[in-house]
Amino acid sequence: MKTANRELLDRLAAEYVLGTLRFRARRRFERWLLSPQVGALVKAWEERLAGLEPRLQSIAPPATVWSGIEKRLELRKLARAPVSRYLAIAASLLFFAMLGVFAVYRFGGTVVETPQLAVTQKAFIEADPQTIYWRVELLGRNEELSMHVHVVHDLPAGKALELWALTASGTPVSLGLLPTTGDHHRVLTSAQRAALDGAKQLAVSLEPVGGSPTGLPTGPVLHVAPLQAV
Amino acid sequence: MNRIDTLPPEIELAQLLQRCAARDSAAFRSLYDKTSPILFARLLRMLRRRSVAEEALQDVYVRIWERAAQFEAHRGRALAWMVTIARYCAIDLMRRERMTLVGDDALDDIADESPADSIEKPNNFDHCIGQLNEKTRACLTLAFVEGRSHDEIARVTDNPLGSVKSWIRRGLLSLKDCLSSERQPT
Repeated sequence: MKTANRELLDRLAAEYVLGTLRFRARRRFERWLLSPQVGALVKAWEERLAGLEPRLQSIAPPATVWSGIEKRLELRKLARAPVSRYLAIAASLLFFAMLGVFAVYRFGGTVVETPQLAVTQKAFIEADPQTIYWRVELLGRNEELSMHVHVVHDLPAGKALELWALTASGTPVSLGLLPTTGDHHRVLTSAQRAALDGAKQLAVSLEPVGGSPTGLPTGPVLHVAPLQAV
Repeated sequence: MNRIDTLPPEIELAQLLQRCAARDSAAFRSLYDKTSPILFARLLRMLRRRSVAEEALQDVYVRIWERAAQFEAHRGRALAWMVTIARYCAIDLMRRERMTLVGDDALDDIADESPADSIEKPNNFDHCIGQLNEKTRACLTLAFVEGRSHDEIARVTDNPLGSVKSWIRRGLLSLKDCLSSERQPT
């Protein structure tokens, strides 16, 4: 049953990204995107289907488009009053975070069970054995990653913490940003799975908000943790 | 029609998006200048009417501004992230309005050529897409590139709707299996 749900969700994610869901099915599916697992399935399909993007010659839009955007977003006012904008953004982020916490994922009246692969490896990102910041788990054949916050890590403003797989050759490959609260789940890409194949350690580096823009750690490595078989 | 001969580097776009997340409107303007000709061409390819594509382009940049904080620079692919937003905007519009794809002369402007590959393909993509049969490949391309619905694809390709749906479903599965296999291209 769980496998059937997982397959159904993956099929819907694929057709959502391809664009072939009808309008109402598309809207219904978008409600599920609050689920990290569904979001991860969609991201994986976006990466797969990116290969279909056509190569097009660029065409400059008329100037009226920018003036319309500027007006709609009130960008000129924003230049004068950045603080109120920050508050508005913080409020909307909080709202969506709460929506995520309370959302119940339903489709056609049936509650979708969250499909789960078995945990095969784990690592603890810690200051010492009494202070564990994150429990990181790899599921299946390194197909998915779960991250659970235990103790909240100190973080300077404007910074984020990024998780890396240290490959057998020593090159770090990004596994994404570490969450600051709660439990998070994501589907790994084929490149990330390949990096984890044979990896014995995970590392955490300090990066700008949004993560390293270069694909390699740009800040100091704060933690290195061994991967343990479960 | 202006042609951009040098595509903006990904790192630069990622940094501009990060500044947009911090509500830097000058960075947003710069991001718009660098990417709007690419996204406008992509929208025109799907929506086919200049006036509709111009309105959609506004929606796209409003969404980019509002969602800039959700962009994950560590995943890279800043342009791909923006193109996806543009595609979804166009698809939403087409599905909501059940838009008939009658174009104007705009299509003449969007030849399938570009000075560079703008979006990175997954490893093995060319090999895997080449494994699909021609009909399946055509259906996937019509859906993804032009935003056509199942019904439209059936009509355009003159095939039964059921066959089109099943080719697409099986094509997506085969593509996923092939891309996730360890096999290298021959």
